[in-house]
Amino acid sequence: MATVTNWIDHLSADEVVGAVYPGAGSTETLLVILGIVIWIGWHVITNKSESEELSRLSRKRHGANDHKSNITDW
Amino acid sequence: MTDQLGALTTIFTEFYYWVTVVLMFLIHVGFCMYEVGASRYKHHQHTLMKNTMLIPLVTVTWFFFGWWIYWAFPTGPGIAPSIMNESTALITDESTFSAKWYLANSEFMAINLGDHISGVFWAAFLLFSWTAASIVSGAIIERITTFAFGILAIAIGSCFWVIDAAWGWHFDGWMLKILGYHDAYASGVIHAIAGGFALGVLMVLGPRIGKFSSSGEPRNIGPRNPWLVTVGLFLIYTGFWGFYAACNIPIFDLGPEYGMEGVTYWTATNIYVTPTTLSGITFNFLMSLSGGLLAGYVIAKGDPFWTYSSGLAGVICASAGNDLYHPIQAMIIGMIGVVIAYKLHYWVERKFKIDDAVGAVAVHGYAGFVGLVICGFVLNGYPSSGYSVGAMWDGSTYATINPLGQFLGAIIMFVVLGLIPGYIIAKVLNGMGKLRIPREVEIAGLDYEMMEEAKKDERAVSSATR
Repeated sequence: MATVTNWIDHLSADEVVGAVYPGAGSTETLLVILGIVIWIGWHVITNKSESEELSRLSRKRHGANDHKSNITDW
Repeated sequence: MTDQLGALTTIFTEFYYWVTVVLMFLIHVGFCMYEVGASRYKHHQHTLMKNTMLIPLVTVTWFFFGWWIYWAFPTGPGIAPSIMNESTALITDESTFSAKWYLANSEFMAINLGDHISGVFWAAFLLFSWTAASIVSGAIIERITTFAFGILAIAIGSCFWVIDAAWGWHFDGWMLKILGYHDAYASGVIHAIAGGFALGVLMVLGPRIGKFSSSGEPRNIGPRNPWLVTVGLFLIYTGFWGFYAACNIPIFDLGPEYGMEGVTYWTATNIYVTPTTLSGITFNFLMSLSGGLLAGYVIAKGDPFWTYSSGLAGVICASAGNDLYHPIQAMIIGMIGVVIAYKLHYWVERKFKIDDAVGAVAVHGYAGFVGLVICGFVLNGYPSSGYSVGAMWDGSTYATINPLGQFLGAIIMFVVLGLIPGYIIAKVLNGMGKLRIPREVEIAGLDYEMMEEAKKDERAVSSATR
């Protein structure tokens, strides 16, 4: 996985390769796909939990003055 | 980097942009404080989290596709050919400034020993994206779902504002070439578009419960924590310094860039690669801020909320031409923008029942729009680009700055890329039942459950220590 194993050899080459992260040149597309899955997955998970929370709260039959007691004691 | 002067220039530029990014982070800190200060107690924590979560959402999508859009879209596509390859297609070829290098899987979108600029330049633009999304966030507090806001933030922050930046905030943008569009510090490309987008969303979202009486009279829901609002706005001012610096290229030799044989001319430039100075824009930043504050204090009769916001609106209004204005011109333009934005805010509120909780549409949208129009008159005849002379695909020149071009540019920013997409996306989300929180939750407060849990926890702790 290591792209660089010896800095002296790397920097004294005729043409210094700029990309030095692990998996350079072979894993970028895979990483992007993984990143997009994480991003979309986050929306799916948080949308589900937010919808559940909002519907639970809206079923509670709040009184008109509920918000007045909605402050913590400390 | 093998020669010392080249290395010094590159590392200086790298560090310069890095500093602007850190400074601009304060804009977001300021927006968070401002929004929480403006919201009611029962919504505080959700308001804060909504604005905070736009940071990762816009950042990752900016990495995946936002930055690519900026470099791909200057031609429209299909509107005016690029000066680099004379094609109207998306710029995805092998040329130096091609979007190809900014695909998310490009080796330049990572640590690369051969590239010291891409990351910091990417980040500077990213911070502009956060700002665009955060402007929208303030207007819609206390009644939007976090899910809907996330989608809207990505739309404005990683898609629509960057299309307008490619068109009108890029040396190769078609709006410069055809309209003579000029917007050095983003009156339109960030502020007018974000204000227009927010207005489009508000038209669908509706007002907070209780904002309007049964007869339609608006009620004032003032900031619950004026001190947090104050500090927030001061931080936004502070971050705005970084924003101004980030809009410049700090050191550039325009001689060879303009094809002037044997001429060397090192200078700072604006985003269009036309010369300006950091010193000069510092005059104008402060004078337009002052103009906004002076006018805001008078028109709002000393109201702190509007006076502080007016300082910001003053800078925003003058920003389009602050690379060239005289400081007193900048001050007067800032004053005009504030008066128009303030009057329009209350007129729109009464007439159309639009509840813009923090005045974001006015401060950013109206002031930005007016600033673009004024710029067209004051800078009428200036070249819109340094590449003017014979640089176009047909050997002609870029259009000069002019009132009509600026007015059309303002319409494109506020309406075409702002209001219309905001309205349509909000309509779709509303149709899915995902836009607005339930009425019961809005009345009880978004933080209701969190607060009840906290009370239970505290009671348990108290009883255990008796």
